[in-house]
Amino acid sequence: MDNILTFKNVDGGYGRVKILHDLSFEVRKGEVLGVVGPNGCGKTTMFNALIGLITPTAGEIIFKGKNITKVSANDRARMGIGRTYQVPRPFEGMTVFENVLVACCHGAGMTEHAGRPKALEILKLTGLYEKREIMAGELTLLDRKRLEIARALGTNPELLLLDEVAAGLVEAEVGEVIDMVADLKAAGYTIIWIEHVIDVMLKATDRVMCMSDGTDLLIGEPREVMESKIVTEVYLGVEDDE
Amino acid sequence: MIKNNARSKTSTIITIVVLAIIVALIYVLAFTGVFSSNLMRILLNICLYASFAVMWNLMAGYAGLTSLGNQAFIGLAGYACAVMCTTYGFGIWVAMLVGGLVCAVLAVILAFALMRMRGMYFAVATWVAAEALKTAFQNWKFVKEGAGMTVKIKPYPTNAEIFALAFGCFIVCMVVVYLLLKSKTGLGLKAMRDDADAASSIGVNIFGSRLLCYVVCGFLTGVAGVIMYISKGSIFPGGGFAIDWTIKIVFIVIIGGIGTAAGPVLGAIIYTLLYEVLAQFAGFTNIVLGIVAIVVIVVLPKGIIGSLENRFKFEILSQRRKSLE
Repeated sequence: MDNILTFKNVDGGYGRVKILHDLSFEVRKGEVLGVVGPNGCGKTTMFNALIGLITPTAGEIIFKGKNITKVSANDRARMGIGRTYQVPRPFEGMTVFENVLVACCHGAGMTEHAGRPKALEILKLTGLYEKREIMAGELTLLDRKRLEIARALGTNPELLLLDEVAAGLVEAEVGEVIDMVADLKAAGYTIIWIEHVIDVMLKATDRVMCMSDGTDLLIGEPREVMESKIVTEVYLGVEDDE
Repeated sequence: MIKNNARSKTSTIITIVVLAIIVALIYVLAFTGVFSSNLMRILLNICLYASFAVMWNLMAGYAGLTSLGNQAFIGLAGYACAVMCTTYGFGIWVAMLVGGLVCAVLAVILAFALMRMRGMYFAVATWVAAEALKTAFQNWKFVKEGAGMTVKIKPYPTNAEIFALAFGCFIVCMVVVYLLLKSKTGLGLKAMRDDADAASSIGVNIFGSRLLCYVVCGFLTGVAGVIMYISKGSIFPGGGFAIDWTIKIVFIVIIGGIGTAAGPVLGAIIYTLLYEVLAQFAGFTNIVLGIVAIVVIVVLPKGIIGSLENRFKFEILSQRRKSLE
């Protein structure tokens, strides 16, 4: 399978605070890669580096064969990287429809005329069609998370980054999210999914990467990674008595 | 949907016709001498302050650029006017064009120098830039240093003609901002206003959009500045580049409603009328204006228009995109 994304020895952080240390991994086209790791290990920072909100101080990020390390955030969105945020960040002064339309127009480079049916189609796919005229600030948490995904899809991404979209949801809602991600995978999207819900990682991902201290600790089959001794020690804080 | 479309188009046409009639009526009244010279002066000030405020609102209310240095455009435009008219003998139209262009160029330079800063850092940097310009003009022999320059135009335009220019400038400012916000760029600006990082991550070009707003703001503030100094007749560095301009503009936008289309206009009307009334009580003007600003901020935090729009669910000159049009 071809790689769509490669992180090569990436260092980065915020100002003088270095979070990512020599982070290297690859993502295969069409797969769902789960990312786990303790709080503060650099998962969201990895996303920020990937979408261009922070610039790595060392290393390279290769997307579809192109070095995008110095490419601006908005250009990366246009190249096909869509992202959701851990804490939903809807444009609260705009309606649900406008939130998705802005992504279609700017991320996917469509005209408003062409973007309208596309936005409506995405709203149907994500279950927000009936709420399209509601101000985004008035949505429930689940709907805000749906909107995050809808907005990311509006950019017409090839690589979709999901940051804890199941966090804070009840079991039934988590099930809905898993189904939605399965539909997206079936539609051909490549997905990197940061999540703390172990069950989600086991059910919905093809591979899992465990991060620790800003670097890749282990990457492989979901069950193999989640049950490995090193991951349980670092991530779950369980030490072997032997 | 077809019925909705037709209704929406009819409503737009009616609005445009009504506005065109009002504009024509104002021009007829101005040139037939119905307005007294005092009323003309008040209307002129309303138009110019509204123009300054509409432009500042575009930056602060939509592009997320809170500038404390728009006096740089007003002062520079005033000097461009004086130099073009007095030194080189050009007419009003050339002065307005040059004033606008010089300010647009200044906006481009400032954008590349300052736009990496955010929030208060940007605000203070624009203020410092304006102060630096003031100092430069105070020591520049070509513009008569601190003594300032008079604006000489032959024949000097009448009050009605200056008002006509100011009113035209105000309408252009409103139309430009409306069209900009109705465009694809405007959609991005509204997203940026709510969350610049999130907007950037879905493809909105933050720097490009901000640069566009800043240049448009510079150009039209410059044109309004030229008209302001044609009406005043002279310019001095201390007055042209004074922070007072921006304080007045911020007051107008805050009480009217930041990020609303009609807020700056209502704010300009309130400010100008209050200023006229308070002129009789010298020394109390700023105290009363300060109290008004505090009361409005506490009672109506989104400004008068913003709070009314929120409360009664309407939007003047709405740029909202309906899903089924």
